[in-house]
Amino acid sequence: MKKLLALVLGATMLLGGCGGGTSSDVPDPVEKYGSDTLKLYNWGEYMGEDLINNFQKEFGVKVITEYFDSNEMMYTKIQAGDSYDVLVPSDYMIERLIANDSLMELDKSLIPNEANLYDGVKNLAFDPEGKYSVPYFWGSVGIVYNKNNVSIEDLEKEGYNILKDEKYKGKIYMYDSERDSFMVALKALGYSMNTDNEKEIEEAYNWLIELNNTMEPSYVTDEVIDNMANGMKDMAVVYSGDAAYILSQNEDMGFFLPNEGTNMWCDAMVIPKNAENPKLAHEFINYVLTYDASYDNSYTVGYASTNKDVLKDMSSEGGEYFGNEAYIPRTGYEKDEVFRDNQVLKEKLANLWIKVKASN
Amino acid sequence: MRQFKSMAYPYIVWIAAMIVVPMLMILMYAFTVKGNDVTTFRFAFENFGRFFSDAIFVEVLKRSLFIAVVTTIICIILGYPAAYIIAQVQGKKKMILVLLITLPMWINMLVRTYAWMGILQDDGILSTILSFFGIEVKMLHTSFAVILGMVYNFIPFMILQIHTSLTKMDKSLIEAASDLGADRLQCFLRVTLPLSLPGVISGITLVFLPAVSSFFIPKLLGGGQFVLIGNVIESQFLTSGNWNFGSAISLIMAVIIMISMYITKKVDKGEHMEGGRFN
Repeated sequence: MKKLLALVLGATMLLGGCGGGTSSDVPDPVEKYGSDTLKLYNWGEYMGEDLINNFQKEFGVKVITEYFDSNEMMYTKIQAGDSYDVLVPSDYMIERLIANDSLMELDKSLIPNEANLYDGVKNLAFDPEGKYSVPYFWGSVGIVYNKNNVSIEDLEKEGYNILKDEKYKGKIYMYDSERDSFMVALKALGYSMNTDNEKEIEEAYNWLIELNNTMEPSYVTDEVIDNMANGMKDMAVVYSGDAAYILSQNEDMGFFLPNEGTNMWCDAMVIPKNAENPKLAHEFINYVLTYDASYDNSYTVGYASTNKDVLKDMSSEGGEYFGNEAYIPRTGYEKDEVFRDNQVLKEKLANLWIKVKASN
Repeated sequence: MRQFKSMAYPYIVWIAAMIVVPMLMILMYAFTVKGNDVTTFRFAFENFGRFFSDAIFVEVLKRSLFIAVVTTIICIILGYPAAYIIAQVQGKKKMILVLLITLPMWINMLVRTYAWMGILQDDGILSTILSFFGIEVKMLHTSFAVILGMVYNFIPFMILQIHTSLTKMDKSLIEAASDLGADRLQCFLRVTLPLSLPGVISGITLVFLPAVSSFFIPKLLGGGQFVLIGNVIESQFLTSGNWNFGSAISLIMAVIIMISMYITKKVDKGEHMEGGRFN
């Protein structure tokens, strides 16, 4: 018992010593921000390896991270009254949170590093004045293809309709989500992916049914990354960030963004209204935008950085993604769209998507 | 006995917190729909109407039941002889055989299912071996893969249940039957089989229930295109965010499961009475 006590005492003294060491050169966080704990709610595997540790050390604070698998899961928790300081939802979900009055207007004077943002990700449709959100990662959705087995002429000629070209029957992966599948179908038909026109949705539904019944597609989510890196199939609908990883692993693979347009998506940092520590939340958002933190993020996760210098360095000679056509998303193309929030439509598409999958 | 009564309290608290309260919440969600901003919930039967009015959900439900029934039947056909053989041997051998049945269960089910993905995939071990013999078949992402995965994962429950009821059986009954002139087949059909039925019945329950509601086996081995009722429930909670409809489907499943358990119990009892006539 005495030994144990000594051990515990020793450990606390050691810890205390450490804490004392850092607090001497870092201003007391409780004094500065009102609290020394930040509650972060983020996607799983979506952050640089050292980012949190470095932030904790630099500011003498503690970060508690929780993870979500889907925007809906995050939204349900927020609606239930759970309090977090920083969230990283996707575009359409931010639009919903703004409409619900759940987000705090950001104090931009506390986020000077916003000047580092890449122009193409500023003021997207979900938050047109950039009042509530600061972009975290962004990208598009395109087709990863095996350059040896799929001709680029076919891709350029047929666009998304190549997914229905029976030459490639049994060789394709579709992404298993209503959002991305209907995006592909609607774009292939030349419609907006945010349409709520019954006739257009019906057409897109039939397009997907036909694909399902003639092409023997496999519907996958994250498995697509490893499977395409291993060259299991010839074509796959993939998020650009995942595509960048696949291309870096397998040099037979190429990335193609069809001319019919794509989903330009963006996940951004926001502060909910019920945040307990908004000051530290601003400090964190500002920190993520620094060159080092953004580099760490993009290097670890592989998604396109929102920091313009990181984006440039990663994709230029000597950078991690030099020559990788999937790393930098396309900007300023009129047929590329951002998802808008429409809950009725989303649920309708979700049900249609189940029907498509169960249709044979 | 009385002084031990209080030892049940922790379990009662556990049941209340972990089973009763969640069930009540499912009930509440199932019979309500999201209202406007003022009233968060509204009482309604809409969720159930939606399920039964849409042919696709009923179709998916039928498919799930079919897959579960096939899985259960295969488990009985493969599991009964295995259990019978294990029940015959004695001592160390028996221990080793039981260990072999339970050994895979030491590894997480999800991990084992992932392993099957590797075995069944297009350039996996199995298709490489088969291609030596000139056979080219797609195995992963078919109903074959799903049923294989389910049988593989759930068969230990069947074997262990049947094995238990076979070892508990009074061996002198078989001796008596052979003394009275029954041959080995008659002994088995008239004595062993009826007496082991309770084990088969509980085996069926333990295989059928997880098989009908499993969502990760069809998802991993069947691919996204293989939709069973468990996947519909999962997508209602995780991607659609419609907890009400998800709860309603869960409730419908619960009712179907209760009915099927009631029927198996009935069958079980009927069999016992038939057995009684022989004695």
